Amino acid sequence: MPATAPAGAAPTLQPFGESRSLTLGVELELQLVNTHDYDLAPYADEMLRLMQRLDLPGAVVPEMTSSMIEVSTGICESAAHVLGELTQLRDGLVRCADKLNIAVVGGGTHPFQQWHQQRIYDRPRFRELSELYGYLSKQFTVFGQHVHLGCPSADAALLMLHRMSRYIPHCIALSASSPFVQGQDTQFDSARLNSVSAFPMSGRAPYTLAWTQFEAFFERATRTGVVRSMKDFYWDIRPKPEYGTIEIRVFDTPLTVERAAALAGFVQSLAAWFVHDEPFQPQEDDYLVYTYNRFQACRFGLEAVYVDPVSGRHLPLRDHLLQTLRQLAGHARHLGAGPAIQALAEDVELGTNDARWLRQRQAQERLLAEVVRQGAQRFAARR
Amino acid sequence: MLDFMAIWGQWLRPSAGLPTVQWSLLLAIAAVVGHLGQRHLALPKLVGYSAVGALAGWAGFSGAAWPLQGIGLFLLELGVSVVLFQTGGRIALRWFRHNPMVLLQSLLEAAFTYAAVYATLRWFDVRPAVADAVALVAIVSSPAVLSQVVSDTRGAGPVTERAIVLSALGALYALTVVAARAGLLNGGGETRLAGLLYPVLVVLGLSVVVGAVIALALRLALQTMNPASENTAILLVTTIAAGTALAAHFGGSAPLAALLAGLLLKQLHPRPWAWPRQLGMAASLLLMLSFLLVSVVAAQADWNPAVASTVLACVAARSVAKVAGVLLANPGSGTSWRQALGTGLAMAPLSSLALLLVSQVAVASPALGPRVAAIALPAILLMEVFGAILATFVIYQAGESSRAGDEALRG
Repeated sequence: MPATAPAGAAPTLQPFGESRSLTLGVELELQLVNTHDYDLAPYADEMLRLMQRLDLPGAVVPEMTSSMIEVSTGICESAAHVLGELTQLRDGLVRCADKLNIAVVGGGTHPFQQWHQQRIYDRPRFRELSELYGYLSKQFTVFGQHVHLGCPSADAALLMLHRMSRYIPHCIALSASSPFVQGQDTQFDSARLNSVSAFPMSGRAPYTLAWTQFEAFFERATRTGVVRSMKDFYWDIRPKPEYGTIEIRVFDTPLTVERAAALAGFVQSLAAWFVHDEPFQPQEDDYLVYTYNRFQACRFGLEAVYVDPVSGRHLPLRDHLLQTLRQLAGHARHLGAGPAIQALAEDVELGTNDARWLRQRQAQERLLAEVVRQGAQRFAARR
Repeated sequence: MLDFMAIWGQWLRPSAGLPTVQWSLLLAIAAVVGHLGQRHLALPKLVGYSAVGALAGWAGFSGAAWPLQGIGLFLLELGVSVVLFQTGGRIALRWFRHNPMVLLQSLLEAAFTYAAVYATLRWFDVRPAVADAVALVAIVSSPAVLSQVVSDTRGAGPVTERAIVLSALGALYALTVVAARAGLLNGGGETRLAGLLYPVLVVLGLSVVVGAVIALALRLALQTMNPASENTAILLVTTIAAGTALAAHFGGSAPLAALLAGLLLKQLHPRPWAWPRQLGMAASLLLMLSFLLVSVVAAQADWNPAVASTVLACVAARSVAKVAGVLLANPGSGTSWRQALGTGLAMAPLSSLALLLVSQVAVASPALGPRVAAIALPAILLMEVFGAILATFVIYQAGESSRAGDEALRG
């Protein structure tokens, strides 16, 4: 088993591609479960085969283990556009799953799957990662939503990335849907991110606002042999040069596509606010409280404490979220994301997110498998 | 062997009776052999159990008389019923609405199997009535062997799932038709349609009633009980045991009642089936006992070269027919050709369910029974062992085992 990734041709960083500012792309990693005991079911191949036959927007690809599947939208202009494409993809997934007698579920973790029973999907990259990371790769059977945000230039992307970093706790708390791991309540709203943290290249991107400096960093990193491509960085937000976007990766996969589209609308509205109002300039010191805020959001969700990176003031994350959502409202309306932002604001006021829904279901049913079944019905919009 | 048993029987006066001691020791030996066979020869545990049972049967072990009766018959029925209840509970009828090709696969493989085995036996000049009975028994696969193999390999995936569901449907057809035929065999010279249908309706009607009662009782219990609790698992086994005894007593088919109960409960109560994990030891012991019983009884058949060629031809025809049926209706069913081939092969095992059907025929027709048993019993023993090996191989080949080192095995 190699101690590091095998050496190959000298890796290079792709030039930053072109994309329209504020465009969106959403990826959703989803769970495939059987309809018998609602444990994870290794049906990725069959789902891919059936989905290929449908005329759908975006793409469907395999993920690390064979009980996971990833769908992605094409380039979207708005949250409504995202919702339209995700709804089509969701309906296609549900149709294919029905044919195979399985179900598709959202959520950041499967509540009771056993990591050691998962199988690595048979693809060279996944086999390679499995050899490198050992059991971590099977423990990576977690499910996230990635939001790509179009940026007009590489420098603008880095500026956007570091501005967005201040709102990572907000993103985590809004999307948290992974309170249960291996059959236990972890007491975290988002336990999924703890699995991501185990990877050596996780965390935050280095603080640099110029693409030339980022290229220099990438060259230094690849020279060590530890990194071969941008894919090896499991950062919370990373630039995606080939698409001309930044990719926000801290969201747990929500339980519904409506929530997923609303979160994309939140990101787009935040970005519009940054671009049009330039409310602040990011600082390297912002990251002094980054890990603490991130932990708080993972642990307590909407009940977290948020430390303002500039003033150092401690305040409830809910208050800061509501304040932020009010600041965004105008931009959201302009982008057609008004209803999505309004729905998120109502949830924040009530203190509800998907993690809370999952806990409430479990408190009532006392059977995690039944929680998964109800989650599958919720994803399929059957209840 | 018999002399030894007689001496031992005079010397030992155990409280629970000598058969209990004999069966306990046989189970203990089977457990050891099954474990060692799996560990050192990488064989399914079930092969070890069958080998011990077959050796005991050949050595004249008197613990199981043929045709089956009394406590032996009840234990076998209970083992089959528990497995069929669980298997029936995997069948969501809505699946067939979304994917009717699966139902077609099931119907084709059952029809092809009957036709292929019947034609083969007729080619060997076997009497039509005997060929008909053996061909009906050949329709079934063994949900018990499949569930044991799936448990051993920790199999999960489309091939595993489909083989289990198709085996449950095959059991449904065979139990219904064999029960009906057995009723007709009891009917003497009856020729009127009403008279011919009466025994069929009695068997089916009683099985449906008992199945519905079991399903409703469990449905009621599950409104207040946690399906993951041990008490629910105990309630499940005891309800099925009572249902099994009642169905058999009133003239219904106990396994059919259990299968229908599972199927009905799944439709009435679509919540997850959490109790198989809790059933654990009880179900394992029942399964192991039924595998032993099958091999002990089957080994007592009259083995000779003439029978061997007929049996081997039947087994080959049955395997080809099952594969052909599944493959023919595969387009549009959501699995690849390779997976369909695997599904057909995984349905090769025969075991306790087939033995029960043969026993049913033997009881219904003392004239026909021995001729049917002469072909069916060796086939059952053969396919309990090789069927288990084949099913295990298929699950590994399909990449559906999650046992440690699976990836390494597949390279």
